This record gives sequence, C-alpha cells and structure tokens, in this order.
Amino acid sequence: MKVVSVNTVKNNASGFDAVAGIAAATRDLRLDSIELDFSSCSFFEANMAAPLYTVIARLRNDLNDVSIVNMSSEIRKVLRKNKFLKMFNQPDLTDIDQMTWPFKVFKLSAGDQFGDYLDAHMKGRGIPVVSEALSKRFRQSLFEIFLNATLHSQSESGIFVCGQLYPQKQRMDFTISDAGVGIRENVRRYTGKKKISSCNAILWAMAEGNTTKTGNQPGGLGLKLIKDFIKINLGKMHVVSRFGYYEFSANGESLHKINNDFPGTCIHVEINTKDTNRYCLRSELKSEDIF
Amino acid sequence: MKTSSNTKEVAAMSDHVKIKIADLIGSELCISAEDGQKVFGKLEPLVRAGKQVVISFENVTLLISLFLNVAIGQLYGSFSEDAIRGQLRVEGLSSDDMELLKRVVDNAKRYYANKESYDEAWLEEDGNEE
Repeated sequence: MKVVSVNTVKNNASGFDAVAGIAAATRDLRLDSIELDFSSCSFFEANMAAPLYTVIARLRNDLNDVSIVNMSSEIRKVLRKNKFLKMFNQPDLTDIDQMTWPFKVFKLSAGDQFGDYLDAHMKGRGIPVVSEALSKRFRQSLFEIFLNATLHSQSESGIFVCGQLYPQKQRMDFTISDAGVGIRENVRRYTGKKKISSCNAILWAMAEGNTTKTGNQPGGLGLKLIKDFIKINLGKMHVVSRFGYYEFSANGESLHKINNDFPGTCIHVEINTKDTNRYCLRSELKSEDIF
Repeated sequence: MKTSSNTKEVAAMSDHVKIKIADLIGSELCISAEDGQKVFGKLEPLVRAGKQVVISFENVTLLISLFLNVAIGQLYGSFSEDAIRGQLRVEGLSSDDMELLKRVVDNAKRYYANKESYDEAWLEEDGNEE
C-alpha cells in the first residue's frame, strides 16, 4: 500500500506540478494499492479533475487499486457535482445551478459523442447569454483540441474532459487531457531529434504549420487558431505536456519547466463570456478568393 | 463495344459535379481526419478528370481545420494552384468558415511549396533531455 499526499491544486503551474508529483511518487507501481490522501488539500479547482484522472488512469492501467481518502466535504461537493467522484463509485450531486460540464472519459474514436456531450451541456447553462459567434468559435476550438488528442496522443485510456462555468467572473473553463505520449515524444519521433525538451517541443507545436502528422498532409493550424481566438476573446489557454507548462493570453505567452513529469498532455482554455466580437476579420470572402 | 460504352458513359456525365459534404460523410460535423480523407477520395479523381466541382457545405454545422486540411488542403499536394482555382468552388459556408478555409488553403500552399524546410521549421536540438 502506498499513500500519496495531494496538496492544494489550482489551475496554474504549481497545481499541475502537484498533479504530476502524484505520477512521480507512484511511477513504478504495478498491481499495488494507492491511497490519494487529500488531508493537505485545502482547495482543488474543478477543472483539474481531468489532469488528475490522467495520472489515475495510468495507475489503473497498470492494475493498481486507486482510492481517495480524507477529502474535505467542500472539495467532495465540487467533485461530486462534476461527476468526477463517480470514477470512485461515489454518487453524483445534482448540479442545480448547471455550472459544470461533467467529467467524462471518451475513447479516441468518440468524436461524434464528444459533439453530443457539448450539445447537451452548452445549451441552457446558467451563464450570461453568450453570443452565437463566441459559442461557435469556442465549440470549434474544443473540437480542434479533442480531435488533435485523438490523432496524436496514443492514449490507451482515452481522453478526459470537464468544464466549469463562473458566471460572476464571466468565465467558462474547459479542460481536455490525455494519458498519451506527450508532445515532446511526438516531436522527437517526427523530427528524429532525440534531445528536444518538453518546453521547446510545445513551442514548436504552437507555431502555425508545424505538425507531427505523417502522410504528406498539411496541418498544424488548430492550436494557432485557438490562440488567435483567445487573443481576441481576452481569454487564456494552458498547454501542459510532460515537463512543459505553456500559458497564452492577450498579454503574451510564457513557458517554463515544471519539476515533475506530467504523463500526458492537457489543454485548458478559459473564455471570457462577455465577449461580443463577431470573429470575422476580413471583409466577405468569395469562393474565387479562396483557392 | 466496351470502348463505345465507356465513351457514352463519360459523355453522359456532366462536366459539373456537386459534392454535398454532409450527405457524403453522413454528419453535420466536419471534424475527423477519416471523414476528410473520404471527401478527398471523391474530390481527387474528379479534379484529375478535369471536372468542375462545387463543394457544398449546406447543412454542415461545424467544421475544423483538421478536417479541411485532409479534405481540401491535401489537394495542393497533387494539383497546381491554377488547376484547383479553375475547377473548385465552395458554397454554403458562413463568412467565418470561409476565412477558416482560406487559412487552410494558404497553409497547404506553403506546406507543399517548401515541404522539407517547413517540416524542419526552426526546431534545433537543444541538447536538453529535460
């Protein structure tokens, strides 16, 4: 039996480092029992359920029995509302205010089901009215991230998603995480350069036109499109993969190494819901202007 | 006899073809690479045969770059810009989706024009395993 202490986890670099720390503390365990002890955790941001499950999914994949102990009633309430604790056989709590997109695990082939999930949970939320243009662009961004994960992650356990609405702050957060090989591994394999750091691999992947997709096909636009959207929307995005932590907002971008190896890739987007931009930057394009 | 039949069949075909994307992939979501490949698989022989092709996005509610890269961007690996410009037309796209397609097309042109250096980009080995 191994007991791993979980500290406070916010949606920032130290939060991701804390989650990756659980992976580091349990790295070589197989067929073991692991208790995640939340007694030192005073706050757990709902969105971080997705990266936390990335670590747990890998442990369960190695046939470890993972349980959660000493979780405060406040955190328990949040994680029952977003249905995360269902993964530990704890009953859901009705989300009366409809402030969550529930935690869900999707298989790599489940693009259409992800669409159904977004449809079911984007309508009738208790959030301020979001413009149609914003809603469409947000949805497109989430599909770009999700489909990228299905294409590149090779995650054996699937893709983990959840979201949270903050009407007071006029914010919507959504997180998509996988337990795959990570951006660094894909870039190393693709370029044949064996010593690329996680941070440089993320930077490379964020640049327009760069893709590790093989088969003589263009690509590498998805993340750039999301960055463009985030910049206009005045939102924020994080990309965390292995030791790399990248943050982008209208104020600029930052990148730094975290201490522990996060075993996959997690992308988090934070949207400003009061945005009324139309998201159509050029004057009307005609078909003959396209090709 | 066979040649005559084939000639007749080709002659009977219109030089103008419309591909209804939503009908072809059976979904209003243009999101996956697989569906993009299916569209490419229909478009490629038509362009090769010199047809005028209208790509209709009627009833499509959402499309993303990943799909468009495979369905349309990939054509620039097989045909010249002139051929594509002369033979393809799109309809049924909102103005923001037209922008997205334009972005995909511009990216594809750059990719195939200078593929090797594009792949290498600026990535230098940093000698840092972590």
